[in-house]
Amino acid sequence: MPALSILIWLPAACGLVGAIASRALAGSPASRTIPGALALIGSVAALALSIGYIVEYTPGFQSAHLATQTLQHVTDVTWIASLGIHYKLGIDGLNVLLVGLTALLFAVAMLAGNLRRERTPDRPHLYYLFFMVAESAVLGAFLAQDLILFVAFFDLMLIPFYFLTGMWGEGERSQRVRATIKLVIYTLVGSLLMLAAAIATGVLASQQHGTPITFVLSSLQGLHLSRGSQEWIFLFFAAAFLVKMPAFPLHGWMPDGYKAMPIEVLMVFSGVLSKVGAYGFLAIVLPLFPQAAVHFQMLMLLIALVSIVYGTAVAFTQTDARLIAGFSSVAQLGFITLGIFSLQPQGAQGALLQMVNHGLVVAPVFFIILLLSRRAGGSEDIRDMGGVAFRAPVFAALFLIVALATLAMPGSANFVGEFLILLGVFKSKLVIAIIGFAGVVGASVYALRLFIRSMHNRVGPEVASREISIRDGLVLVPLIGAILFLALYPQPALKRSEGSASSAVAGARALTEPNVLRIAASQSGALASTQGGSR
Amino acid sequence: MSQTTYGWLVLAFPLAGVLLLCLGHRSLPGRTAGWIGSAAIFLAFLAALGALLTMQSHGADHRQQVSSLWEYAVTSGIDARMSILVDPLSVFMILVVTGVSTLIHVYSVSYLDKDRGFVRYFAYLNFFVLSMLLLVLAGNFLLLIVGWAFVGAASYLLISFWYRRKTATKAGIKAFVINVVGDVGLVLGTFFILGHTHTLEFLGSFHAAEAGAFSHASGDLVAGCILLLVGAFAKSAQIPLHTWLPDAMEGPTPVSALIHAATMVTAGVYLIARMHPLFERAPAAQDVGAVVGAATLLIAGTIGLVQTDIKRVIAYSTMSQIGYMVMGVSIGAYAAGLFHLMTHAFFKALLFMAAGSIIGAMAGEQSLKKMKGFRKAMPFTYGCFLIGGLALSGIPPFSGFFSKDEILLIAGERGGWRWILYGVGYLGAFLTALYTFRMIFIAFHGKPCAEAQELQAGHLHHAEHPFNPADGEIEDTDVGFPGPSHAIAERALPMRFAMSLLAIGAVGAGLIQIPKVDYVVDDFLKPSFATSALYEAHTRSGILIAGLIGGTLIGLAGIAIAWRIWGSGAQTATAFQERLRPLYTLFAAKWYFDEAIDLLVVRPAAAFGRFAKDTFERTVIDDTLVGGPSGLVRAGSALVRSIQSGLLRYYAAMIVLGVAAVGLYFLLQA
Repeated sequence: MPALSILIWLPAACGLVGAIASRALAGSPASRTIPGALALIGSVAALALSIGYIVEYTPGFQSAHLATQTLQHVTDVTWIASLGIHYKLGIDGLNVLLVGLTALLFAVAMLAGNLRRERTPDRPHLYYLFFMVAESAVLGAFLAQDLILFVAFFDLMLIPFYFLTGMWGEGERSQRVRATIKLVIYTLVGSLLMLAAAIATGVLASQQHGTPITFVLSSLQGLHLSRGSQEWIFLFFAAAFLVKMPAFPLHGWMPDGYKAMPIEVLMVFSGVLSKVGAYGFLAIVLPLFPQAAVHFQMLMLLIALVSIVYGTAVAFTQTDARLIAGFSSVAQLGFITLGIFSLQPQGAQGALLQMVNHGLVVAPVFFIILLLSRRAGGSEDIRDMGGVAFRAPVFAALFLIVALATLAMPGSANFVGEFLILLGVFKSKLVIAIIGFAGVVGASVYALRLFIRSMHNRVGPEVASREISIRDGLVLVPLIGAILFLALYPQPALKRSEGSASSAVAGARALTEPNVLRIAASQSGALASTQGGSR
Repeated sequence: MSQTTYGWLVLAFPLAGVLLLCLGHRSLPGRTAGWIGSAAIFLAFLAALGALLTMQSHGADHRQQVSSLWEYAVTSGIDARMSILVDPLSVFMILVVTGVSTLIHVYSVSYLDKDRGFVRYFAYLNFFVLSMLLLVLAGNFLLLIVGWAFVGAASYLLISFWYRRKTATKAGIKAFVINVVGDVGLVLGTFFILGHTHTLEFLGSFHAAEAGAFSHASGDLVAGCILLLVGAFAKSAQIPLHTWLPDAMEGPTPVSALIHAATMVTAGVYLIARMHPLFERAPAAQDVGAVVGAATLLIAGTIGLVQTDIKRVIAYSTMSQIGYMVMGVSIGAYAAGLFHLMTHAFFKALLFMAAGSIIGAMAGEQSLKKMKGFRKAMPFTYGCFLIGGLALSGIPPFSGFFSKDEILLIAGERGGWRWILYGVGYLGAFLTALYTFRMIFIAFHGKPCAEAQELQAGHLHHAEHPFNPADGEIEDTDVGFPGPSHAIAERALPMRFAMSLLAIGAVGAGLIQIPKVDYVVDDFLKPSFATSALYEAHTRSGILIAGLIGGTLIGLAGIAIAWRIWGSGAQTATAFQERLRPLYTLFAAKWYFDEAIDLLVVRPAAAFGRFAKDTFERTVIDDTLVGGPSGLVRAGSALVRSIQSGLLRYYAAMIVLGVAAVGLYFLLQA
């Protein structure tokens, strides 16, 4: 496989070439279509590469309790030697699936953009340039193995979205502006906190251990900070990540932001960007600050729990379809946080699987909302919909699959994810798991309510029922194909993430249950020998 | 072929049916879809017979076989495989499910003939059967939960089949959500058990339990089993999770026959029987099951007495009968409970089909108040209803007589406080005969109503404006209502065929297990309960005779009193109703379960949601956290102004370019 840098920078390069070509050909009709086409090519190529990485990825020796996962395809170059900052990339069980998800959602969004019936977006060269830079940045954030590099990619990934929302957004201009302001304020504050925390981590680590300064994650893992430093740095990171997810009560930017974003942007924003925060917890916060993670475990679990209950409650009272999906995401990300802070391997692994699953269902949900609003006279309010299923059996069937996956119906990979998450929480905090189940029931209410109110019941006043077109079907099919594949056979995904997920929580577990870990280590040693024997 | 290969075939045929119907939804002409669906299930039935024959050729110790196709989720702490368990219990279930389902498919071919959703209907119905078979064949907890949820989803789809009716979509979501509550119980129960047995495989868990994975009267095991019961109660419509079942009658009548009488609602009974090695180590959970079953059979019986919708009467009767089964398997009367499950599948499906025939003759009307005197107009339907009614009331030699009495017999044999269950059971039997013959006397006897007269004259009544009987709304004639014309058993061969076979079952199925004569069901199921301490031994005490005679007399008394009240003119019924006013009100209000759930769960949740959406979001999240720090906002507007002036755009472009340049640099270096 080629180096990871190619995967990361390929989309941005395609966006750039598209933009330049478009300016060079200014005036000709091709100038409007070239950027989109190149963006599609770039994102599909990135998807092909990332599938290659997933297929090729070989989990090292797996055991539920031992941290033996090593990075693969490592690129390690000193970036700024005096500050110990490296340009280090690598694939492990935590990011391998998320890279695939990112590439898939961006490719699908580009497909949707290119197949759009309506006119191409204004200034397509800039639109696609921003989009492709965003993809590069997200891939970079997932693959970065250096703290500062991660922060750089994290910030870089937000900038294009400010513009995509502010300049190509939907609705009234004033609303768009308001939405963009909120987005900028929230994420900027989060980013600044994170930057400060990242610098502090490197500096304090070198001070407290008397080693040269470094930001490489694997090196930092060996340099544990004092408990006091861990705690405040933890809070800074948590703030940034929770805003991004978003989690209650830091979701204030979400309703306006989601309403203002164009659907393609929203598909990747809600499908992928929210995962960067959750990924940050697993890849950075838990391994580097295990003491703080244990200390704040209850706080984080409660935030997660409130996010679940609150997000669910708003989702089943909302009538704006986008916000139903938006608040359902708050609840789903709550489940993911719950799994991570169960500090159990099952929870972490369930959370990882659920990140992929949520991305795979929320993107089609938003696209379906676009299709619904086209059939309901342009309204995205479920009160204006109804009866769409009549002439659209295929559309209804596709929507039903997505809706059932959203509510984590057993038989979907989402259920496997939730099962593992709740099993992890069940093991560490029984009561929280039991309350968390309320969210499972609530999810069935809001997902089915959205389905029924739009597809069933009497025909809405301006509803024209129409079967899904081939173009729109092409956008949905890859996503639904992925949902169905994982539903039937989640094992490959679980196998790849198993080792990394358990090593991510190993540090924190060593603090909470040292005995269990020691016994487990001896057990898994025995397991390893029997496995070796059977092979 | 091995018995597990047959087991996979049992699943493969309905799956093929679903796929075929989905792919061909545009091109299948006429009744083809119906016949494809029926054939798929019939082939599954043949495969189930194959499994039966192969299994019986093995010795009793080798009749439990597991087969696994692929690893589903084998990872930290869980081991879920795509595995099925083929043993006497699951073979018993797949035979009942595929057998009854085949007949109901055939019936549906006529019943839904003119419906515009014909293909969709059969795709759903095949999907349901697939799910139900998955549920009973599942070899581990996770797959069981998958089947469990799939039947819930299929039930939702079929309840909401006429999706233009708001009553139907409401009933659908209600059924789905209550079923999800049951799923949650099942998942949590699994967690409790998994924590001790460390495996999701059934046989592995049972062996672990037998090897002492749980301490004596372990709290975790009791909690786990009670949570499994929550799942069972939700699926089998036991109190207090039963309120969805009567509403589920919004679905087409064959659906009620299949899902809400013969198959899905019995899943809870199967679950308790399947989990007997766990339940027997948690006697407290068994007692909970027995008491809830007994309470349900009584309460549902009283509600059934006063309902006016014919399908709802049968629905409450189903609840009540499943109460018997749940009580039975919870006191260790496994074979008796499952035997009753089978006979009930026959006679209850038959009753629903006969009711469907009347509803067809009434052009969709389901109210008993409007039906009268169909005896002469529909002799075949009348005969079937009578057979079903007699079997339900437990009159010998019809099948219900043998199966119901056996459950009560074992309750008596176990003695102690279970004599209360015994008494409740016979009280319930009296109520059963009463409400069953109330239906029969009202709908078939007396002076024929207009529709019956029309039918006697040779015309089938069609409503001028099709309307939804539940709320009187005029149907959306585009789509989404039962169709303008209806089929009745008297005129449709497939319906007659299906009903005849079921009638034979309702009459004769009881004969395979007659106390002191033969024990076919007992002996057949025995290998699945080999380690059970409670599995019934063939020693019958003196209460046997008393039970058989007493049961018959109670049933006959019920019929006689029903005749006295409803058979001899309307005045007696009204007078009776007046005299028992308070009781009547309680029963007619269905013991206020719907109201209580509404008050305790639905309203608070909705109120919290509204508060969150309208108040909290606006004042706290928006004003305080976003709008509050005005400095931030000012900074924000400055930012936006600079976006507009183009300055920021310029900076951003520089950042993007810079990062791109750095990236390019490393690209070349690497």
